[in-house]
Amino acid sequence: MRPKSIVIAGVGGQGLLTMGSLLGEALLEQGYKVCVGEVHGLSQRGGSVVVFVKYAEYQPSPVVAPGEGDVLVGLELIEAARRLPLLSRSGLAVVNNFLLPPPAAERVPSREELVTSIGKAVRSVFVEALPLAKKAGSSVAVNMVMLGALAACGVAGVSLETVRSVVAARFRGAAGEVNLRALELGYEEALKKLGEEVQG
Amino acid sequence: MASARISGEAGTRKLLLGNEAIARGAVEAGISAATAYPGTPSTEIVEALAEVAEEYGFYVEWSTNEKVALEVAIGVSMMGLRALTAMKHVGLNVASDPLMSLGYTGVVGGLVIVTADDPNAHSSQNEQDNRIYGMHAYIPVFEPSGVQEAKDMTRELFDLSEKYSTAVLLRTTTRLSHSRGEVVFGEVAGLNREARFHKDPERWALLPPYSLKKHREALERVEKLREGLGGWRFNWFVEGAGDTLVVSAGVAHMYVAEALEALGVKPPLLKISSVYPLPGRLVEKALEFSRIVVVEELEPVVEHQLRVAASEAGKTPKIVGKELFPRVGELNAQLVALGLAKVLGVRYEPLQGPSAGVELPPRPPTLCPGCGHRSAYYAVKLAAMRARTNPVWANDIGCYTLGFYPPFRMADFTWSMGSALGIGMGISRFSKEPVVAFIGDSTFFHAGVPGLINAVYNRYPIVVVVMDNEITAMTGHQPHPGSGVGPLGEPRPRVSIEEIAKACGVEFVEVVPAYDVWRLRDATERAIRYVREKGLPAVVVARQRCALVELREKRRKGEKPTLYRVVEEKCIGCGVCVDRFACPAIVREGKVAKILPELCVGCGVCATICPAKAIVPVGEEA
Repeated sequence: MRPKSIVIAGVGGQGLLTMGSLLGEALLEQGYKVCVGEVHGLSQRGGSVVVFVKYAEYQPSPVVAPGEGDVLVGLELIEAARRLPLLSRSGLAVVNNFLLPPPAAERVPSREELVTSIGKAVRSVFVEALPLAKKAGSSVAVNMVMLGALAACGVAGVSLETVRSVVAARFRGAAGEVNLRALELGYEEALKKLGEEVQG
Repeated sequence: MASARISGEAGTRKLLLGNEAIARGAVEAGISAATAYPGTPSTEIVEALAEVAEEYGFYVEWSTNEKVALEVAIGVSMMGLRALTAMKHVGLNVASDPLMSLGYTGVVGGLVIVTADDPNAHSSQNEQDNRIYGMHAYIPVFEPSGVQEAKDMTRELFDLSEKYSTAVLLRTTTRLSHSRGEVVFGEVAGLNREARFHKDPERWALLPPYSLKKHREALERVEKLREGLGGWRFNWFVEGAGDTLVVSAGVAHMYVAEALEALGVKPPLLKISSVYPLPGRLVEKALEFSRIVVVEELEPVVEHQLRVAASEAGKTPKIVGKELFPRVGELNAQLVALGLAKVLGVRYEPLQGPSAGVELPPRPPTLCPGCGHRSAYYAVKLAAMRARTNPVWANDIGCYTLGFYPPFRMADFTWSMGSALGIGMGISRFSKEPVVAFIGDSTFFHAGVPGLINAVYNRYPIVVVVMDNEITAMTGHQPHPGSGVGPLGEPRPRVSIEEIAKACGVEFVEVVPAYDVWRLRDATERAIRYVREKGLPAVVVARQRCALVELREKRRKGEKPTLYRVVEEKCIGCGVCVDRFACPAIVREGKVAKILPELCVGCGVCATICPAKAIVPVGEEA
């Protein structure tokens, strides 16, 4: 079996590394061999960041090459569009409907333009993660909303149960509660969107 | 990150970074000391070790530079104890002086030197292949291919180091160091060794009469290793179909496995983890094949050794490698599949992903909101304008290197640690325009001081701006001699940058808070004028603790920073805050500026520089 791969794309500081390692732990719990590929350094924040999560019955390699990704999780629209070529043509994009223009960028495509063109290129689910994260108790929990949304999509090899257990094990106290709430909200939202897709 | 990520009983399973796995291996081997200067992608090794140093009873330090880190580790080994030192690939350049002699002397206590190479130069100035250092220094080189193997191999390398009385190089790469995989923990060795200085002046004092003898011994050691590594458990053969042998080293092994799966072929494989010297017995076996394909990243290290071995043995297999796989950048399963398909004569169409079909703006890394480097650059640029100069901007290695990007464009060159001063001096000797050199606090301690002494002694007209954020920030906030704390935050003496500068003989030394744009501008302008008039060096320390450290501390204490907002009616849309200051928290919205509360950390510098005084703290009236 070819390894399955999830590509997480976003902006440094959005919690991509945390999301990647939680996803890795969840997949591990479900009995897969896992490789989570990160790239650190150069900038703590604000740069374009991508994390690869691969899983298989044997030890997968750390890199996702163009066209190989089964799922793309985009935490920001420009970054989701940038990493789209890593996705397989039959893959799924789960994208936070959030635009963060790079500082002092000259030409920035509009939110609508990005949503339309990503939607045209691949099967996609767009999630309003920021309001949901705020509803859960913290704007920082966007990554958890998206993790929940990913679990709802049913293609990433992880169930909500497992994700919930690794999140509960990692975060205690108030932060844990916020994160678990964010996870649920993301899960429900994506389920709703997927339901609309089936009906539509 | 959860604390004590590498702590646990034998049998514990955890999802660890390659670097954490190496650290765990060192714990299991019973090290007495670990030393490092932080550098991507090596940093997490000693960071993880620091977290468990007390629990397992060993010593950890952040050293001032890699040469010092290696030397401390050598000293520990001379005491009969085990030591690990870790550095990024270019760090080994700094440590190469003691390294070259270490190949001659060998070691007593096991000594593992981790070199974390960076194919693709993700966060480095070059992609040098440090396996070649091993050949140069007669120090054997080992390359794990996965995270569990990194842990197991590290542990065993300490035994091997002692068995052959040699230091060893453990070479990892970004993709291994920064990949997470499952690791099953092993037992921690209870060595209980008595520390004793192994007095042997004829061995340790590298004086001319003894050096040639030791050179011969080093060569003999390599030959012994060549023989002994044939049956080493991290090298192996896999039988397969056909007469083409695929040889892989390091992470490339995982790419080969995936590529062969995609191609649906099963040629014979040789996975090599002892890349220098190559194991003699396995090389002999490899040379029986009519064709050998070598898959390795960067330089043809294994390939060339095989070519030499073939020539020496009078064999003529067709050996291919770098003509199929790029020497520049890193590999992936697809690139490997492409190359292997050609040589194995199978069809392979690389996958193609979809495209959004939209032109996307680049997103280069940026200085964080609230970063003191941003206000320092802004102030220094104003100073240069007021002094009517167009300086040569000498820059160095750290977060502040991002001053290279617009709108600042204040890095005319960046080279290696400390080079802003060194190269800057060479330019300043003949330049009509002044040279302004930016160097970080950690870099100043690492390699800046000798340059500064040279500037004083040889009378160089150079302005040195120390971009002091009181921590090694870019690699994830490791303390340094100016931080006042040790690896675990425990109090330590604070070495003062300004006192060092004065003690070196610099007469113009000023310390200014980096957020204080006008004072910093004035101090720098005075420094430029001083340098021009006196022809001597001047030092300005622009000090502001890293904004991320400040923010985390505030969050821990439950404090909320006062954020800032733009008063729309007052904003004249001049763009100073967005285009010239370029804080990521400030965006243009229509004709006015807007501050994003999610990103603002409340440093307030934008309020200082706004010409219309349109930026105020949230909650205050305009």
